[in-house]
Amino acid sequence: MQKKEFSSHISNQLNRNLEELFNHILEMGGMVENQLDMALSALENADAKVAKEVVRFDKVINQAEMEIDRLCIRVLARQQPTASDLRLILATIRIAIDLERMGDEVCKLAKLVIKFHKNDPGVCANYAGYAELVDITTRSREMLKVTLNAFARVSAEDAMSILDQEDVVDHVYEKACKNVTEQFKKNPENVESLLEVMTALRASERLSDHALNIMESIIYLVQGKDVRNMDQERLTKFLEKI
Amino acid sequence: MSELKSFSMNRASDKLSLENEDIAIEVKDWNLYYGSKQALTGVNMQLPRNRVTAFIGPSGCGKSTLLRCFNRMNDLIDSVSVEGTILLDNEDVYLKSMDVSALRRRVGMVFQKPNPFPKSIFENVCYGLRLQNIKNKQLLNETVEWALRGANLWDEVKDRLDDNALSLSGGQQQRLCIARAIAIKPEVLLLDEPTSALDPISTLAVEELIFELKKEFTILIVTHNMQQAARVSDYTAFMYMGDLVEYTDTDTLFTNPKLKQTEDYISGRYG
Repeated sequence: MQKKEFSSHISNQLNRNLEELFNHILEMGGMVENQLDMALSALENADAKVAKEVVRFDKVINQAEMEIDRLCIRVLARQQPTASDLRLILATIRIAIDLERMGDEVCKLAKLVIKFHKNDPGVCANYAGYAELVDITTRSREMLKVTLNAFARVSAEDAMSILDQEDVVDHVYEKACKNVTEQFKKNPENVESLLEVMTALRASERLSDHALNIMESIIYLVQGKDVRNMDQERLTKFLEKI
Repeated sequence: MSELKSFSMNRASDKLSLENEDIAIEVKDWNLYYGSKQALTGVNMQLPRNRVTAFIGPSGCGKSTLLRCFNRMNDLIDSVSVEGTILLDNEDVYLKSMDVSALRRRVGMVFQKPNPFPKSIFENVCYGLRLQNIKNKQLLNETVEWALRGANLWDEVKDRLDDNALSLSGGQQQRLCIARAIAIKPEVLLLDEPTSALDPISTLAVEELIFELKKEFTILIVTHNMQQAARVSDYTAFMYMGDLVEYTDTDTLFTNPKLKQTEDYISGRYG
């Protein structure tokens, strides 16, 4: 499937509407990428000012999701899309939900910086799990970039290239959790801060899960196959066939 | 990275509103009777210029009857009597002094079945101009090409303008009828189920044409096909038993109608 197929209808209105959907998702994705870059900057520099900006920006992302919903409803009601056009609508709605939730998770990272800065300015990086937190967020940021590019090119193959990264993220997350748990035992007086790190770690790991969901939506768009509940083995077999 | 980039997502779903429109036709307290039977009851509405307004509703609801009021086609039926006012650019369409032929030049009409004359393609399109005694060949040639291009038919017939119009396919014949209607450059185009005799692909071609034509004309379309109304129109009027039940922008009517009666009809719950 090629993207140009979405602009080859007799109805130019439908062509325009579907193009708008692509553009809206890519624009919203760009917002989340931007928000993630800022959150990473806030994490790395313990910069509470930037972190507050990240939290404020979430409202804009929420509005973008609502706008995409409105456009999807409009296209469904007025253009009665079928086949790949219909799958594009469903994929768009799902991707917008994932992007909005990614925005929420990024806010959790930003809130950690704000909280730590208030208690102990500039020493965030000393906490156990903090390095892994930055690592996972950086990898999730890359996964998001790959899936957005794959969506722009309507390429399931490109989207699937994030699967390896997801395995690495899971591994780093597991390691980080172990690390933090050990610190719980060693330094119980830091339990509050460590819990904050744990929450942020979970948020950063969820970022990669949402990127994975976006990959699944792209596979559904391109292949018409819902791979959401496939176990790893079946998914691998299915992907080999593509 | 310390600053957020500015994003400005276009609001594709901004709604149309009659309040912001230039009104071409105004219908006030309009009643129509076939003999003693009332077919339209107290219709009040404003029809915006350079927009497509669709009329939907079950058979016999009065949508075609209302459409035919705008160019006084109902005058041809003896038993018809009317009350109320229809203003075209603030001019009363039903004034006794109104020149009905001139009115029909301003308000063109295309019917359900393509009805080309048994003449050449060229003669079909310039028929209205010849009736106006226009003989300038260059003007006729230019107008025929303009109208056929406008009707999205030029590329298909430009090398066979002298062929009989009846040799065209159904879809082409209907687009020819649209070309014939727009050749005299009316202000308003009335389309009475213009695609009901066409195949799905020709239907989409005509729908696309309607979308393009609204840049130059005010278009009123009656259709049995609700999906078609959703696809082509900016505003939609739902009629039932001679009443104008709900009239609003097409987005609202098809996603969140105000009245349950409208919702039941457009969602197929109408019994």
